[in-house]
Amino acid sequence: MIQLFNVSKAYQKDSAALSEITLKVPKRDFVYLTGASGAGKSTLLKLLFGAEKPSRGQILINGQNITRMLSRIPALRRRMGIVFQDFKLLNRRTIFENVAFPLEIQGKKRYEIGKKVYQALQQVGLEHKLQRFPLELSGGEQQRVAIARALVVDPLVLIADEPTGNLDPEVALEIMDLFKVANARGSTVVLATHDREMIRRIPRRVITLEGGRLIDDQTP
Amino acid sequence: MLDRPAYMLLRALRNMRQSPVLCGAAIGTVAVSLTILAFFVLIVINVQQLTSHWSREIQVTAYLDRIPEERRLQEWIGEIRRQPEVAGVVFISKQQAFERFRQRLQQEADLLDGLDAEILPASLEITLAEQYRSRQGVDTVVAGLKKNPHLADVRYGQDWLERFEAFLRLLRLAGAILGAFLLFAALFIVSNTIKLTLYARRDELEVMALVGATPLFIKLPFLLEGAIQGLVGGVLALCGAFLFFQLLLREGLQTILMLPGSASIQFLPYTYQLALLGAGVLLGGFGSLVSLRKLLRT
Repeated sequence: MIQLFNVSKAYQKDSAALSEITLKVPKRDFVYLTGASGAGKSTLLKLLFGAEKPSRGQILINGQNITRMLSRIPALRRRMGIVFQDFKLLNRRTIFENVAFPLEIQGKKRYEIGKKVYQALQQVGLEHKLQRFPLELSGGEQQRVAIARALVVDPLVLIADEPTGNLDPEVALEIMDLFKVANARGSTVVLATHDREMIRRIPRRVITLEGGRLIDDQTP
Repeated sequence: MLDRPAYMLLRALRNMRQSPVLCGAAIGTVAVSLTILAFFVLIVINVQQLTSHWSREIQVTAYLDRIPEERRLQEWIGEIRRQPEVAGVVFISKQQAFERFRQRLQQEADLLDGLDAEILPASLEITLAEQYRSRQGVDTVVAGLKKNPHLADVRYGQDWLERFEAFLRLLRLAGAILGAFLLFAALFIVSNTIKLTLYARRDELEVMALVGATPLFIKLPFLLEGAIQGLVGGVLALCGAFLFFQLLLREGLQTILMLPGSASIQFLPYTYQLALLGAGVLLGGFGSLVSLRKLLRT
């Protein structure tokens, strides 16, 4: 469960990137975060995974207040999957190594890592490209690797910032299917997009931001 | 959790293997910086050795207006010797003083023809133990001598002593300032080189943080890498310094410092060699730490 209470964020004194956001996302929910460029979507996501601190207000994730204890953020991120528009893969490492990275950091045993990485890659349909490097794959495939890396930790929360922004419409739909499946398996999904067509085709709860304010919250 | 240190080491080594150019640059920078530092220390050590050689000149001479009988003389000598500051006492008879004077005059020795050894006084020459070769040590010895009224005429080259002490102070100060400056410059250069290597891998640092690595977990392999590079750089610097020492410095210093044959130019003692390697490790580790702090703000 994600809860925000009167959350504001200002990078500079006078201009607020987010103001007075109060929001509740129940467990296993699937939420679109939408709005024009600069509406504050990315800022809100950054607050959720602790890359930014709110200027005011409180953020609770699974009952833990992450605004107070910065030292909790690594532990929080271990149960979180984060997916970006630009994939953020390590280009000098193989697909296997990229997906194994979060588990390696958690100190998991080698056989366990091997098993989980294979399963995650199977989920995204790339189990046959284990030993390839990211730049040898297409954009859609790279994003699937990034999603596999997010899913490999069985995340409670899956956060995605314009995950289909760089991809063709058909490929984008395939990627969205992966988020749907992850959601069905129990992950809470918060996905920022400005793709209206996508929202129309896969209707879910839509939270709309404008100028840093929450202006609309609709559930179909 | 037990295999964590091994994992860290493995990652550090893998990182180094993956970017050999940057790794080489960091090692090279440490090596060059430390070679310069080692060079400087070598010079300081040898100048210090020279000054300790010079300090043997610090001695106190007590002139005797009348030579006492042998037994009394031995008593006085014994008394002086018992002072902890005193390393040795030598009696120089009138004849010996005259001979010395003659030798010092060299070609002009014939000036002394027709003169008698009686013109020069006999004396006691007192050398000081090494740790007391200072103004204070000399003062103590002189005060002790003056208790004996027959040894009232005491000379100890006051001017020379003061200049010698001023020189030593200057040498120590210059050594400390230059050494600190060199070390700081080395740290600056090394940390900047390491910053470049980290900058080239900032994607990795970012992803590590995103998938939940703690700051310590992110930093440790890089610190380890810095320390390993520092150690390798230190070993290279030691080899480099030794090579330079053998090829250039030994002969050059010997000439510049005009050391007498007995005191030879020496290479860094073992403790200094170990300290140099330690400095490499610290330099590399600390250099990474400084850069990491800047890069890991987010």
